[in-house]
Amino acid sequence: MRHLILFLFLFSYFPGFSQSDDLQIFNLKTELTNNANAIVRLDEMMVDIVSKKEMVLKRKKIVTVLNEAGNKHAVAFVGYDNGKKVRNIQAKVYNALGNELEKIKEKDFKDVSAVDGGTLYTDYRYMYYPYTPVSYPYTIELEYEISTKNTGELPAAWIFLDDFLVSTEESSIHINFASPELKPEIKELRLENLDIEKVVTANSIQYLAKNIPAIKSESLCPSFSELAPLVRLRPVNFYYEGFDASIQSWNDLGIWMSSNLLKGRDELSPVTIGEVQNLVKDVDGTLEKAQLVYEYVQQNTRYISVQVGIGGMQPISAIDVDRVKYGDCKGLSNYTMALLKTVGVEAYYAHVEAGNEQVDFEDDFPDLAQGNHVILAIPHEGSYYWIDCTSQIHPFGFIGDFTDNRKAFIIKPNGGEIVRTTSYLNEQNQQLTKGDYTLQLDGSMNGKVSIVTKGIQYDSHFNLTDKTEEHIKKHYKNFWNNINNLHINSYEFKNDKKEVVFREDVAISATNYASKSGDRLLFAANAFNKNKYVPGRYRNRKLPFEIQRGFYDEDQTSITIPQGYSVESVPETMTLETTFGTYFLQIKEENGQIVLERRLLVKAGEYSATEYGAFRDFMKNVSKHDNSKVVLKPIL
Amino acid sequence: MIIERMLLVVTLLACFQTRAQEVEFGNVSKEELMETSYAQDSDASAAVTFRKQETYLLSSNGILRLITEVHERIKIYNKDGFEYATEKVNLFKAGSDKEEVRKIKASTYNLEDDKVVEYSLEKDQIFDTAMSFNYDQVKFTMPHVKEGSVIEFTYSISSPFVWNIDEFRFQRDIPVKHLMAELRTPKGFNFRQTQKGFLILNSKKTTKQDHRLGMEVVITSYDLKNIPAMKAENYVDNIDNYRSGAMFELVSIDIPGTPYRSYAQTWQDVAKTIGSSSDYKNDLDKTRSFKEELKTVLGGKTDQLQIAKDLFKYVKDQTEWNGLDGKSFQNGIKKTLKEKKGNAADINLLLVAMMRDAGIRANPVILSTKDNSMPFFPTVDRLNFVIAHAFIDGKDYYMDATEEFSDINLLPVRDYNWGGLLVDNHNKVWKHITAIKPRKANNIYALDISLDSEGYAEGNFKSRLSDHSAYRFRENFKNRDLDEYLNEMEQRYLGIEISDYEAGNTDTYEGMVTEKFVYETENGADVIGDKLYVHPLAFLRMDENPFKLEKREYPIDFGFPFRDRYMVNIKLPQGYVVESMPENVLVHLPNELGSYKYVVKKNAAGIQLSVTFDLNSAIISATNYSELKEYYNQIIIKGSEQVVLARASNEHNQSTAGSR
Repeated sequence: MRHLILFLFLFSYFPGFSQSDDLQIFNLKTELTNNANAIVRLDEMMVDIVSKKEMVLKRKKIVTVLNEAGNKHAVAFVGYDNGKKVRNIQAKVYNALGNELEKIKEKDFKDVSAVDGGTLYTDYRYMYYPYTPVSYPYTIELEYEISTKNTGELPAAWIFLDDFLVSTEESSIHINFASPELKPEIKELRLENLDIEKVVTANSIQYLAKNIPAIKSESLCPSFSELAPLVRLRPVNFYYEGFDASIQSWNDLGIWMSSNLLKGRDELSPVTIGEVQNLVKDVDGTLEKAQLVYEYVQQNTRYISVQVGIGGMQPISAIDVDRVKYGDCKGLSNYTMALLKTVGVEAYYAHVEAGNEQVDFEDDFPDLAQGNHVILAIPHEGSYYWIDCTSQIHPFGFIGDFTDNRKAFIIKPNGGEIVRTTSYLNEQNQQLTKGDYTLQLDGSMNGKVSIVTKGIQYDSHFNLTDKTEEHIKKHYKNFWNNINNLHINSYEFKNDKKEVVFREDVAISATNYASKSGDRLLFAANAFNKNKYVPGRYRNRKLPFEIQRGFYDEDQTSITIPQGYSVESVPETMTLETTFGTYFLQIKEENGQIVLERRLLVKAGEYSATEYGAFRDFMKNVSKHDNSKVVLKPIL
Repeated sequence: MIIERMLLVVTLLACFQTRAQEVEFGNVSKEELMETSYAQDSDASAAVTFRKQETYLLSSNGILRLITEVHERIKIYNKDGFEYATEKVNLFKAGSDKEEVRKIKASTYNLEDDKVVEYSLEKDQIFDTAMSFNYDQVKFTMPHVKEGSVIEFTYSISSPFVWNIDEFRFQRDIPVKHLMAELRTPKGFNFRQTQKGFLILNSKKTTKQDHRLGMEVVITSYDLKNIPAMKAENYVDNIDNYRSGAMFELVSIDIPGTPYRSYAQTWQDVAKTIGSSSDYKNDLDKTRSFKEELKTVLGGKTDQLQIAKDLFKYVKDQTEWNGLDGKSFQNGIKKTLKEKKGNAADINLLLVAMMRDAGIRANPVILSTKDNSMPFFPTVDRLNFVIAHAFIDGKDYYMDATEEFSDINLLPVRDYNWGGLLVDNHNKVWKHITAIKPRKANNIYALDISLDSEGYAEGNFKSRLSDHSAYRFRENFKNRDLDEYLNEMEQRYLGIEISDYEAGNTDTYEGMVTEKFVYETENGADVIGDKLYVHPLAFLRMDENPFKLEKREYPIDFGFPFRDRYMVNIKLPQGYVVESMPENVLVHLPNELGSYKYVVKKNAAGIQLSVTFDLNSAIISATNYSELKEYYNQIIIKGSEQVVLARASNEHNQSTAGSR
């Protein structure tokens, strides 16, 4: 939603030329049908860099769809915008015997806007044909051509696989360049052990890959883009929307961005300058000023995406954002940067790949295609303070799990560099839970609990402050879905934005928490923080797995039992120590009360497929012990 | 013809004077800006404080247009309310006929230094997007919006589609403080007004003479205050069906000097109107394109029900639904057969035509699907779908061949939406049938468990699903990767480990689905001290109430009624005896809407449990919500109760002692 639209548009959907094919499906190799919903029979891309200002992409893609789940990989679809012309688009559909069923001509394609819920306007559009399959398997052949002046929009990568559960029979990219300076840089990733032919001549580069089996996704496995074989491509000398570029390093790219796309975008009206300077007049330090300006932006603007012209890469000017008080990540970041400048605080515009998954920029591959979001880096005493100007609620300097711990590209007036954003490590992502509850004869309970969160755990709790009562009650009913008939009697929050600590105080009650077995009462002592996550079981795990963020939970609960009952048994103390983390649970009887102590540490890390079973056992054990029961019996 | 005549009449009407508005544009008070929450609903992130809508016909230069003027003011209380600061207007187009939006005027008001400051929307902040071949979208978002802002806009939509008066939607997901709406139609053109939702609308009907022209107009007006917000919750088919509003449809034209024309006055009228369209009148009996082929398919069969079954299967096999609704042909019978696909009418009317050709009394039944709207009143426009009906040996058979797993008298759940309209031109029967309802699914789950003294359990699971339960299973199961499917199932079933999984009869649409597997788990019982605590329903128990909210404003839609029976046999570990067992219960929902029966007993090998869970109605009204919630609560409590097993020696000694 709040991503910037980069050159990526056409990432996996490009053009082609022609040859005759045998499209019947009886001789498909089992290595290709294994785990596959669709097979890319042929994916051919021909890139012609005719001059610095002329590029033609031709693509031909033939996909055999084996079942309904494969349909999405065979959509006759091409995206484009004002800078591109789509030509000679056509598609053909074949049945299992290879007989042509349907021919779809250019005029049959639907032409629609790509505007979505989070975007007010974009000139990005796509042409597509909604084909209804009549039987499986079937084959779709799509051909089209795109021409553009923007050689900067060279496809950022050629991925030899389409997606999880799709195999490739043949996939090739062929790049012709008119002169040596138009030769793109190439980076090969995961091409080892594949049937790949590479041909390089003075004015062309070609890769041809054959017979790549489908990959099946498994829980916690790396993302598709980290598993698939691909070549990254980047233009060195290129043209983009009125600007020439020659990029050898991230530093070059930084200079190019700041002297072209960002240049002159930071002007502000004297009224606004006066207002901001007045805002910080009573504080001195860089961070104090920056924080006031950031909070001013948070209170006065909101995120709305408008992508017009080169809006995909260039921010709306600060003066325009100031006029309407909304913008996308580029516009709001640039605006904040301009405001900071007027009060003497330096901040840098930074491209980053945002999302829960941490994706790094490549140190040695400077291009504009990496990243989907813009944030700001404020240098201070040798380190950077990062702010996300699209968030109206995050504390100053806290970026949470949207952009944490990943390499990003900082654009400085005189250069650029790759820098890692703030990391929140294992124990820093903390949750401390303290509570007590009283059990009644009828099995009902009532109690109070406080939850204090920090780091990434703060990030997933603190936004409760802004929510409605209805939302908050729903949240707790889900959060404690181990307690049925939960009633939230009261709640109170304290959001310490300075220390980035969030505290929730909640009073709850529930009927039938303890269950009756004969005259005994049974209940799980751990009411407030039960581990719910046990990763799925794989009979034959193939892929490695990663835990991107660790966390640490500590719990203390005391439980008052009903009059006339005594403790018949409590579970034994349990300690687990593994590569993946540690767990401790103790439930004791103390002065007629039950006291629970629990600690769980899960560590971030990358692990091999063979370790998966052990990790699963660890989480399974945690769940099992979190559920262990206390038995009460009546005193006779 | 009618349009032309109407044109003549309305040309004379010219435009009307707009009446004075209650709230004047731009007149925003400090008090409004200082308000921090909505008085009647403190949870509201924003509220419509005023809306006025006027819809009327207008003729200019001899061209008739339907005009809708909107004036709206919204108060934004917090950040969640920012989404209401963006207004979208969808404008439909067909060929050269286009809806247009004009005269957009909008402002944001903020309180700054105790003064009301207005920020106007400028032209370059309005975006016009060609969304698709049949509609454009005009969109704008307000400048300078922050918590506490008041925004206000007016615009006017001019539509050439004068017959399509959009629903007047009064209720939204935010509260509306004051709403005025008015529809003005020329006298003689009679529009039926139908109210929907739970609010009392009290519309007023007046007529007004336009003295200048000497013509009369009929005014239908609404003046509503404090309309509460309505948001979607679990188990609702389509929330818009329950939001209050008014719908309009032209039912007759009665103008002196022209013949009286009647449209959809009653369901019978609607059926006749649709029945007289060429798709229904002639095309259904055109059989040339399939006559020969059917001979081979049916091969001289005479049993009508068997023929209907064969044709149903034939159409399902031969055609694929393109996902589009429709009560009229998109392709027509011939092209549908050739291309093997089409919209709902292409497929189901083809089936009707084939059955007719085979001598069956077959007819279309027209309906509105759940995602479309609830057909509260006789309407042509708001019916969007057609299915096939056959009448054989005095029995009704309903068929929808668009979906892979539908069967005869087992329609996709979306089709069960307050009945349908039978259009039987041959026998002159046009009627509304309310009896199209989903059958009750009858499912059995059987579990044989053997338990050891460490709490480890292994067992066999078998199930048999019928009707819509089978249908739903097949849809979910289709094209699933089995490993992943089992992986999810293991998680859902409290971490048991499954092997030898088999699902039977999943690829066809007929008969029941069966499932079986072997499983093991370390968590078969809680071992506490020297006792074992066992959940007799094991992993089949329900442990979370799907109904969490305190109250509910609209019905709960389960899709179809069902009976789930659970039969569990637990073999005890060697040397253990039953110390205590949960009590048997029978819980009822009121009005025989459902019941839950739980019977557990000891037998020679161990424990035997039988649970029968009935839900007898697909839809349960909001008035029964609290009983339903409590019903589920009782079921969960019962499921949480455990059998206590103890070592036999003590128990045995005691019982021997007792017998002496």
